[in-house]
Amino acid sequence: MRITQNMMSTIFVSNLRKQTETMLQRQEQIATQKRINRPSDDPSGMGRVLAGRSTLTAIGQYMDNIKQGKTRLEFSENTLKLVDDLVQQARRIADEKSGSEVTADERQFAATQVKEIFDQVLQLANSKFGDRYMFSGDKTSTRPFRVEDPGDPYTVSYQGDDGSFRYPIADGVEVTVDADGRNYFQNYADGGVNIFDELRDLIAGLGNTDLADGSTQIAATVDPLEGAHVQIMNKRSEAGPKLYRFQATEEHWLNMKNTVQAAIGREEDVDVTQAIIELKNLETAYQSTMAAASRIIQPSLVNFLK
Amino acid sequence: MTNLFGVLNIGTSALLLQQRAINVTGNNIANVNTPGYSRQRLNIETASPVASAVGPVGFGVRSAGVERIYDRFLGVQLNSENANLGRWEAQKGMLDRVEVVFDESGGYGLNQALSDFWNSWQDLSLNPSGSTERSMVAATSQGLADTIRKKYSDLEQIQEDIDIAVEGGVEDVNRLAAQIADLNRKIASTETSGTNANDYRDSRDLALKKLSEIIDIKSFEDANGQMVVSVGSGRPLVENGNTWRISTQTNADGHTDILWPDINGGAVNISAEITGGRIGGWLQTRDTKIAGYQDDLDALAEKLMEKVNEIHADGYGLDGTTDIDLFTGSGAADMQVNPEILEDLNLLAASATAAGVPGNASNAIAINALRTSPTMDGTATFDAAANTLVSQVGYDVQAAKANASHQADMMTYLENYRESVSGVSLDEEMVNLVKFEAAYNAAAKMVSIADEMLDSLMNIIR
Repeated sequence: MRITQNMMSTIFVSNLRKQTETMLQRQEQIATQKRINRPSDDPSGMGRVLAGRSTLTAIGQYMDNIKQGKTRLEFSENTLKLVDDLVQQARRIADEKSGSEVTADERQFAATQVKEIFDQVLQLANSKFGDRYMFSGDKTSTRPFRVEDPGDPYTVSYQGDDGSFRYPIADGVEVTVDADGRNYFQNYADGGVNIFDELRDLIAGLGNTDLADGSTQIAATVDPLEGAHVQIMNKRSEAGPKLYRFQATEEHWLNMKNTVQAAIGREEDVDVTQAIIELKNLETAYQSTMAAASRIIQPSLVNFLK
Repeated sequence: MTNLFGVLNIGTSALLLQQRAINVTGNNIANVNTPGYSRQRLNIETASPVASAVGPVGFGVRSAGVERIYDRFLGVQLNSENANLGRWEAQKGMLDRVEVVFDESGGYGLNQALSDFWNSWQDLSLNPSGSTERSMVAATSQGLADTIRKKYSDLEQIQEDIDIAVEGGVEDVNRLAAQIADLNRKIASTETSGTNANDYRDSRDLALKKLSEIIDIKSFEDANGQMVVSVGSGRPLVENGNTWRISTQTNADGHTDILWPDINGGAVNISAEITGGRIGGWLQTRDTKIAGYQDDLDALAEKLMEKVNEIHADGYGLDGTTDIDLFTGSGAADMQVNPEILEDLNLLAASATAAGVPGNASNAIAINALRTSPTMDGTATFDAAANTLVSQVGYDVQAAKANASHQADMMTYLENYRESVSGVSLDEEMVNLVKFEAAYNAAAKMVSIADEMLDSLMNIIR
């Protein structure tokens, strides 16, 4: 086949171009540490990487939700524990002071204590999580338990509704935390105990000038207050399984996160060592091509004819 | 005549011929790097023999014309492959720019904008009355709308750039067609006198090659050596010395179409008939590929707005208002966050009931639930549809790159083959120079010997 100088130089230039193109690609991969630097490098790989990223952000969000849910349950638990202590204290007072031998002075002293207890329980029932009331249902900016009539300072009515806090922890899966204050403090389903009313009755009983009547009133609150303690305990124990669910899901997501990140890495990351070795090989090939070409395209017959 | 003057004649013809041969060789050497040049060769024949006492005797040498070494079938194949190369390179060039629009490898793109949007609604659902969370929802909604709008308008921009390129291409086509027609005329007038118009033919072939890169053509040489060129489905572009000038006009979509002037003075739209060359590649990219991406983006935006607005309008804002849309607009080109919401973030409807304000978050949760529901065609989620679009762009760019590279290799092979047939080899020409110079020297020697012989003859008679 007839070979001309033009052919030799064209072929040489074309080969050089291919080599430099490949070298540039390797260099880019080493610089960005990624195998896929644009969708056309590996379209289906890019699709998988993008899907992986979507999953990762979703997982991150769920883990955030779980953190918030756990905090809410902790707040709730602390509050309810305090309420429980107070209720038990009130019950002890009712038990001790229900006898007819208790003097009016002792009763008055006890009444002061129970009034304190009442105020504290009211304050706890109105506690906030962040800037939202915890036990007001959906009406998170309304104080749940309010004294309507200043003339009757121990009758409390509920201003909230029956909403709950919802924490999404997975696709279509939520953990709800009951926020209806009535379930905690007033009527737990049917047959529940209205703590405020019982405390009010206790205070009234302790302040009753008729000692015999008073004792009856006081004694009547002992069992309900025990029931109130059970009510609070039940609500507290509801938190147990929820907390477990939060923690188990959190661990699951942590493992998933690592798996998904590893999968994305496998698609996307470049093996730096291998890339550098390939680059070295390409450089050697490039230099050899140039050396060979320079020996071929330079001499022509002109140099030899005299 | 077989006498001394005959010898002188032979010598003269030899000298003149070798000189002409060196001329042709010199021309080849001078044009070694001229694009499209085909090497030329002097055809050498013996002169007609003359009768003599001993029978016919040779009478020297003469040239039978300068011939151009050229493979005409190779020319047709080269042009057809060149049209393919032009088409794939044009597609690759424009699709590379589309790829930049959809580049998600850096981590901020459609995928991220969607994820941020869904997450902001989840955050809102955990604290429906929080002003930070509401600001975040407004911000991510705007981010999503902005991202979609920008990608759509970037695609529009690329389409407009293609229009400008097409217009430039049409001008080039007309210029080259005029050149070919002009050369047709020159070749006709030169060849009527029986000689070969070698250099004009080379120029015409070069013009044809350049033309085939821009637009796919069919060409053939008729019996009179005239090149007939046609485009599209058999529409003549050049015939003898006449050209049909193609032109452009803006069509209903706001983009450029190509018109061909027909017999009655009207114009025919031939855009659909052009399938090769740069113009063909540009048109395909603009009207099929990019238009397709825009449609996909539009479908995503429309469905997203429809579904989100449906749920949002059912919900209640912090002030109890309902029936407010989150997004306004009809598609990807004008997707915006409702300005009423931007003015008053309380209008964001997190609650599912009027009574549930401010703590109820069911509506926010419902909006977030759209992330995993197969809303696009009943099979794909919004995220999946967005990711598929990016992958599709990647596939198309990859195909264009692969095809362009393959075509380039094909062209290199064909051009090398043409070079092998028609190209000038300096080594060969050097040898020819030596050859003809030696012949010239020998002929000159022969003339001087004839001269000496004549001299001796003259000196006999004193």
